[in-house]
Amino acid sequence: MKCAESLRVQAYFDAEVDAVAAAEIERHAEHCAECRALLGDLAATRAALRSGPGERRAPPALRERIARLLGREAGPLAPRSAAAARPLPGARSFWLGALGGAGVTALAAAAAILWWAPAAPERLPDELLAAHLRSLMPAHLTDVLSTDQHTVKPWFAGHADVSPVVADFTPQGYRLLGGRADYLERQRAAVVVYQHGAHLINVFAWGAGAAGSLPSTATRRGYRLACWRAEDLDYCAVSDTGWDELLGLERLLRASAAAAAGASARGE
Amino acid sequence: MDDRRGRFEAQVLAHLDAAYRFARWLCRSPGDADDVVQDAVLRAWRSFEALRGTDARAWLLAIVRNCHRTALARHERRASVPLPEEHDPRLAAAASATGADPEHAAIAGDAGRALERLLAALPEEHREVLVLREVEELSYREIAAVAGVPIGTVMSRLARARAAFRTQWSQQHPGESREVR
Repeated sequence: MKCAESLRVQAYFDAEVDAVAAAEIERHAEHCAECRALLGDLAATRAALRSGPGERRAPPALRERIARLLGREAGPLAPRSAAAARPLPGARSFWLGALGGAGVTALAAAAAILWWAPAAPERLPDELLAAHLRSLMPAHLTDVLSTDQHTVKPWFAGHADVSPVVADFTPQGYRLLGGRADYLERQRAAVVVYQHGAHLINVFAWGAGAAGSLPSTATRRGYRLACWRAEDLDYCAVSDTGWDELLGLERLLRASAAAAAGASARGE
Repeated sequence: MDDRRGRFEAQVLAHLDAAYRFARWLCRSPGDADDVVQDAVLRAWRSFEALRGTDARAWLLAIVRNCHRTALARHERRASVPLPEEHDPRLAAAASATGADPEHAAIAGDAGRALERLLAALPEEHREVLVLREVEELSYREIAAVAGVPIGTVMSRLARARAAFRTQWSQQHPGESREVR
């Protein structure tokens, strides 16, 4: 008699779902006594676990010991030679484990960091993520709610400084939800909102500035960012969806922009 | 070299408290936790180049977990599995050091020890997801990276762990668990 939604309810409790899913789950819990009880239990469990020893800190003696050890390892008299080469007991099995677990994420992130040229504006991806997260709060997602590209695109004319590509890709799985204005890079950026499955994707567009080139992909706190430049606009798609899905939308939007540019060049 | 040390301190040692807390929840005694953390930090230092911008906290916690597993395997080979330590003098010292008021500290210490015993009784894979989620407040994605399992596994494991914890907790605190709504 376990409700099939219980894992989703748990994910909602852990703030691991987007705004669309959260609304669905809230509606579900209104009607499902079991899930309402589950939410209460989850809160009770959390309270109990957090009633524990609180802010436990590493003891000063341990800190000192570690500092001493690192000093020995890092010191100029003992460069990472003999001491570093000597494996600690069980080191071999550790490395196997580390490669299986942390290693994979380390590699993934190593791939991500290659995109981050030192000159790239580090702050912009954070800003984009913050804007994405803000949009997920209730009633922040769209200013113009429409699945019609001919409604969304003209709306930007009065509300943002740029006029980005707007197209509905429902057949390809990306439903146009609407648009929103946001403030980025000291200008009014246009944001086009898509839904792909249970995920929301915000596509930010702003006038390409002198801020340097953005990384083409980045990960911030588990969210993914795909950025590109088309004509004189910078675009960045932000979502918690998978890379394939995010880059799929980028391809579609790039193709639309190229088609639109071709059309205007032919005077259509 | 100094630069490396500086970067290591800023990126990795900044999470030493989190590493220590995690180790304390995993290990059976504070002494074991110290050893595991020290081992983990050394390993992190030696493979610092592998970090390359990943979430350093999740990375360090993953190493702590691996060191704990290695240490555990070593102990198990010695075949004696000690019970959770109830009379560890360092536990008592730690408890009395948490508050100026000795009576308050004793109560907090009792509650803390009860919680500790309860968690210690859970299977390790349950204990670690509970601690990573509820105490360290890691996201599913980060927990998956630390535990080296897919996110789906994190979710189902977390659900089972919470249910198991709840059952134990409500046995010890009758009438309390259901009232929080």
